Formats: sequence, C-alpha cells, structure tokens
Amino acid sequence: METVFPLFTNGFIDSHMNYILAVVIGVVFGFILERGGFGTAAHIAPVFYFRSLIVPRIMVTAIVTAATLILIASLMGYVDFSQIFIPTTYLWPYLVGGIIFGLGMVMSGWCPGTAVVGIATLKIDAIFFALGLLVGMFFYFDIYQYIIDFANSGNLGKFTIDKLVGGDIRISYLVTVGVSLALLLFVSTMKKVIEKKGEN
Amino acid sequence: MKQNNYWSPVIAGIILGVALFVSFIVAGQGMGASGAFARATAQATFTIDPSFASNAYAGKYLKHGNALLNWTVLEVVGIFIGGLISALLARRIKPEITKAKGYSSGKRLFFAFLGGIIVAASTRLTRGCTSGQALDGAATFSVGAWIFMLSVFGAGFFFSFLFKKQWKGVE
Repeated sequence: METVFPLFTNGFIDSHMNYILAVVIGVVFGFILERGGFGTAAHIAPVFYFRSLIVPRIMVTAIVTAATLILIASLMGYVDFSQIFIPTTYLWPYLVGGIIFGLGMVMSGWCPGTAVVGIATLKIDAIFFALGLLVGMFFYFDIYQYIIDFANSGNLGKFTIDKLVGGDIRISYLVTVGVSLALLLFVSTMKKVIEKKGEN
Repeated sequence: MKQNNYWSPVIAGIILGVALFVSFIVAGQGMGASGAFARATAQATFTIDPSFASNAYAGKYLKHGNALLNWTVLEVVGIFIGGLISALLARRIKPEITKAKGYSSGKRLFFAFLGGIIVAASTRLTRGCTSGQALDGAATFSVGAWIFMLSVFGAGFFFSFLFKKQWKGVE
C-alpha cells in the first residue's frame, strides 16, 4: 500500500494549499484552546500551585489521543512516521531552557500559544507578555553568537523513546501513555494533599 | 461562572488530540506558537536594519525571503481567529488583568512582560514551547519533549513561592 500521509510531504498538496490549511488548522486550535480554558492566566498559573487540573488533564488527554492515532495509522501503513516532524533532542539546552521557561511561565501565567488566545480576548496581561516575547526574541538573537556551543550541546538527534529503552513504536507508545498517566496521577494526588492541608 | 461554556477537559483534550493528528497527517508537523513570535521579531528588525540578515540566529529565517511566509506563522494567525470566534460565541471578550484581588496591576503587568522576555529566550534553546515542543514532541514519542515538560513543571513549582501573592485565590 502506498502511504499518502502526510499529504504535504508526499506531494499530494502544494505549498500554497498547505499554507491555507495552516490557517484552517490554526483556527481549530485557537477555538479549542479558548473553549478548553487556556485563554486566561487564571487556568494556567494555578497549575504550579496544584490548585487546578484543567491544563494537565487537557494536555495528557491530547497527547494520548494524538499518540494513539499516530500509532494506529503508522502500524496500518497509512502514515509514513519518518516524514512527521519530530523536534531534535538537545539534552542540556532542553533541561536548562525548560527551567527558565518554567520560571517565566509561573511569573507571567502565559505561554506563547495561550497568549495568542489571550490577546484575542483582550487580556491586558497577555498583551504585555507578548510584547515581552518580542523583546526576548531580539535579546536571544543578539546573544546567540556567545552561547552557540551550549545551545547546540547534547544533540541526540531525533531521539524517540524506543531509541532510549529499545523496542519499536509500540514500546514508545506504551511508555508515553504510562508517563502521561503517572504525571496526571501525581498532580491530582498533590492537589488532594494540598487541599487537605488547607493551603488554598 | 468560570465553567461558563467551557468544554470538559477530557472532551477538549480528545478534540485537541484529533486536531493535532490531522495537522501531522496533512502538513507533517504539529501546532506551534513561539516560532511565529521569533519570525515576527526577525522580520521587524530586518525591515528597520537590513544588515540584520546576517544575524547568527535569525539569518536562517530571512534567507528565503519574508520570514512571515511560514506554516507556523499562518497557523498562529489562525489561532488568533479561532480564539476570537470561540470567545465571541461564549461572550467572553472583555479587557481584564488576571491577578489576585488587591494585587498591584503595575506589578502584574511588569511580571507578565518580564516573563515574556524569559519565555521567549528559553524557547529558542528548547526549539519550541508548550505547543511545538511539549505537545507535538510527546505525541511523536520524542524523549526531548519529556525532558522539557518535566523541567518546565519542576521549575514552575520550585519558583511558585515567589509569585504566591500575585496568584492568591486566582482560579
């Protein structure tokens, strides 16, 4: 059977059509984000205090749903998994960058995608966050030449879970589901513990 | 009031997951956001100062012409439109600053701005944000996505005591 998906990388749609569909896919994402409650810092910041499970629940459900569909479609031969974009893993920059990101996120209550929705619904804090993003990007462009070695350190390539623990895409899938559910169990347990202590 | 017209997290998560899958099988990539802000900054700087095309990082955005003619940039334009449509239908559009009662608006906006600067710089190190790195990477079984997510969550929790007053009672 000939794989037709992804449509764009297999040449079934041209780049013009791919751009039009980018806007359409974005509209769907934006609608879901707003409807899911990502359009306000009030649902994002409390995650770090274990007061709200909305964001972890949506993230975990989305990851498991998408991973399940990708697994099935790959095993059945409908999708060429090798043509799907997987971010390259840079161990040290991801670790350090993640820590800095976490600080910025609890400080601002936003991340780049949710802030776009926040701007659309006139959240003043989202607008200030987005202005900060532009300044931060400029700052990074300026300092990049000095941190170029660190920024590209720990390059593990397209490092999927099966490359770490062995096996194939099915093992990757099972670990993904396991880690996702463990994370959800952890945050819901922490929420209960903190509610008991009455720190809210 | 906060549940007004919101979908349950499980329903929202399933629909988001299906949409993410559709994005993968159509375009070969998932949703992104931080890249659009990076490209907007690069294009704006280049317009003011054309010598910026040789910048060590942003040069790669500018060498194929307009940095804004890009899948993620157009998808982010869509996110704005989609968020606007949903909020209009739910009558949720009103200017506001989310913060604890009695907390200074100036301080809140300062931290939103400073947080934006910090988040932007970190997304270049991590090649994406909670969308393009965490969500897309985890759905495609990338180890890096989990390194990123766990360090974001760990650090957010670790530093949360610093912003306790700002978020008191907010939910």
